[in-house]
Amino acid sequence: MSLNEFIDKAVAAGAEVVRLESTGAAVAYLKKYLGDNGVCAILVSPELKTRPPFCDEFSGAPEKPPAGEPWADVGVVAADYGIAETGTLVRFDRSDDDKNVWTLPEVCFCFLERNRVVPALDAIAPFLTEHLARTDLASPQVSLVTGPSRTADIENQLTIGVHGPSRLIILLT
Amino acid sequence: MKIDPSLKNVLQDFSRSYRAKRSNVLQGYDFEALRTALAEVKDKALTRNAELLSEFEKNARAHGTIVFRARDGREANELVLKICRDHGVTKMAKGKSMVSEETGLNGFLAKRGVEARETDLGEWIVQLGAESPTHMVMPAIHMTRGDVAALFSKKLGRTVPDDIPSLVRIARGEMRREIFTAQAGLTGANALIAESGAIMLVTNEGNGRLVTTVPPVHIVLASIEKVLPSVREALLLLKLLPRNATGQSITSYVSFIAGPHAAAQYVIILDNHRTEMAADPVFRDALRCIKCSACLNVCPVYQMIGGEEYAHIYMGGIGTLFTAWIYGLRASKALARLCLRCHRCEAYCATKIPIADLITALAEKINREAGRALWKRFAFDGVLGTPRLQKAAFGAARLARRAIASGDGYARRLPAWMKKYDRFRALPAPAPRPLSRTFGRVIASEATAKPSAKGSVTLFAGCLVEHFYPEIGLAGARVLSKLGYDVKLAPPMCCGFPMSNAGFRRASGKAFSALLEKFRNGGPIVTLCPTCSTMLAARGPELVKNEKARRLASSIVPFSRFVLEKERSALAAWSRPSPGPARVTYHDSCHHKHLLKASGESRELVRLALGTAVVEMDEPDACCGFAGSFTVDNPEISAALLADKLAAIERTGADEVALDCPGCLLQVRGGCYRNGLAVRVSHTAEILDRALRGYPRS
Repeated sequence: MSLNEFIDKAVAAGAEVVRLESTGAAVAYLKKYLGDNGVCAILVSPELKTRPPFCDEFSGAPEKPPAGEPWADVGVVAADYGIAETGTLVRFDRSDDDKNVWTLPEVCFCFLERNRVVPALDAIAPFLTEHLARTDLASPQVSLVTGPSRTADIENQLTIGVHGPSRLIILLT
Repeated sequence: MKIDPSLKNVLQDFSRSYRAKRSNVLQGYDFEALRTALAEVKDKALTRNAELLSEFEKNARAHGTIVFRARDGREANELVLKICRDHGVTKMAKGKSMVSEETGLNGFLAKRGVEARETDLGEWIVQLGAESPTHMVMPAIHMTRGDVAALFSKKLGRTVPDDIPSLVRIARGEMRREIFTAQAGLTGANALIAESGAIMLVTNEGNGRLVTTVPPVHIVLASIEKVLPSVREALLLLKLLPRNATGQSITSYVSFIAGPHAAAQYVIILDNHRTEMAADPVFRDALRCIKCSACLNVCPVYQMIGGEEYAHIYMGGIGTLFTAWIYGLRASKALARLCLRCHRCEAYCATKIPIADLITALAEKINREAGRALWKRFAFDGVLGTPRLQKAAFGAARLARRAIASGDGYARRLPAWMKKYDRFRALPAPAPRPLSRTFGRVIASEATAKPSAKGSVTLFAGCLVEHFYPEIGLAGARVLSKLGYDVKLAPPMCCGFPMSNAGFRRASGKAFSALLEKFRNGGPIVTLCPTCSTMLAARGPELVKNEKARRLASSIVPFSRFVLEKERSALAAWSRPSPGPARVTYHDSCHHKHLLKASGESRELVRLALGTAVVEMDEPDACCGFAGSFTVDNPEISAALLADKLAAIERTGADEVALDCPGCLLQVRGGCYRNGLAVRVSHTAEILDRALRGYPRS
């Protein structure tokens, strides 16, 4: 129930949701996208680069753009939770580079496991508090991301991709 | 005051689309329960403000954040400058921060060699054009895509296309460069979380994320009332803020940030008179504001004139209150006169701030402390505030009647200074005889012979009915009499509302007390004016806190509510002697709808009287523009609001407009007359009276 709601709400917010059997299938989907679109400027969340099975594919990928070139085509990240009520991805950020991979590229791919979808934000409120109290991280941060970057500042017309990605693709496994 | 028709259209369209989105996204949520909870959270946090701020400070420091307190805007600006100097910052990228607008930070820094660049698209556009934001959430709402394209072309030195996606694309590139070349980022905070020493930042565009992570130094500028105890309260705020601000279930990006990510994080907590405001038992309510702008989005005056006119820095009614405290009473004086006191915003406020009543309290404060307008002092404190003079004034007006009245009851040959009030709406001449002098004779001849089985009711007509529209009083009395009540007329005295509304509290209390003296106990008091009703039932008893006032308050019933509650089955069973007008539409009078909440009853009463439902007009609850002294203070806006109302009425194709407030009747009827609209304008009591008596066959 929650899962369908999550998908509906994420799509309503402008995200794209691709349902896949396994993490392996999700990685294959992403690799095919990169190949089909000839993507070379890719950023990968530092945490994914050490986590199997992603590390096999992305261990050598950059996690920040080259100095003076604040652009990238594709970012690859993973969410810690999905919120069904609003179609939101929750990320307990580990570092700034991690956070920027969500925001800098044109297209953002996000891995999410279906068993991490919870009905509402209240359900994970204690984890937020816990994360923000962490002393082992320089700057504990929590990001809630719902759909692509948007603005309606010109004539109240919804326009995507103003600062962050214009496409947010959730690979739901 | 000039009204720009294209800006008005943009703002009205925005308001409509906002309300549709908002009501959609609130489906399945108990808005009332949510906002009651949030109001309580904010109230409690305000009571514990000092303690929560210390807790925030302690926990933020534990993360390595440097926390400063600033007493006023100047101090806050100096602190930002010092941080910039310490870190060698010459360019700063900014997320949206109303507090930095409050302190005039950009200008301050520019003079001292630090360039502050906005990165919220709307703010960026406004800054590029050297303009001021005209909406808190939509800063560039006053500009069209053509305006933006022209501005970009000029600033970038190349011609840019005027389609919105291209403009956004161009801005993306420019702003990205700004952020990557800035040495510091500055943002506001939607909440300071005491327990975690973290800030919560709510944005759609994603600039908040970039500004807080790309430049090495992050500065947060937030005012003291933003502090909340824990994540739990912040999440409650998050549940309401986007839904109420833009009709989104959540914004694209929400960030919780604790501690410095790279070189340093600073949090500057600004007071700027808020502690004084919090200590004021009346005005502290305004500090519950979460800056969602819902009040602006539904404000009829804001939609007419926009945020350039209706602002000092903060906009609209809520902005007027902040202006009074932050910039002083004088700065708020002109703004306070722009509030209709229609109370529409209060139905939308996320934290139940009684904005209209606070504006009235502000008017009192201005009169007390910053000098009052001479005409108001004469009219409200002098004439209306003294029952003897009041009677004499209306008597004199009646004497002049022969000189000024035309055959159809409107005033003509008015003195030149009154022309601006008469141009868009014909003003009525006083009635030949006031209601109180004709009432006894007319009702005695109409009443049925049999003794009234249902007991007696007192009819409170109000000044406009007494002196200008006695026929409404007679209609109401005839209906009640026909339904079997023994009708007595309340003493024809002013309830005290106009004085209260203009900020003359003492005169208002005096008038209300004088009226209270004359009342005898017992039986319901049926009112024909919603504004008098709210005075008698609520505001008066707040001024004169005694048992008699409380008893009076509990006896007040608006006419349509009384008739519907007591006589619904009789009216439903009643067979109409002849058909009434084919199409009747209904105008919601502000106090009738927003304070008495009796609009539903009136519509039902009209339906029962005519056997057909009212035809709804667009925005039936948009103010007609009368609003008592508002129409005197702001004739241009009053005229524009009336023009919209008349257009909405015309679009329904109705033959008749029903309404419940004699003030609206003056405005709408006079407007129809002046504009040659063949639409009859009637009080609900008149409609019911005519229906009960049978419409003449034409």
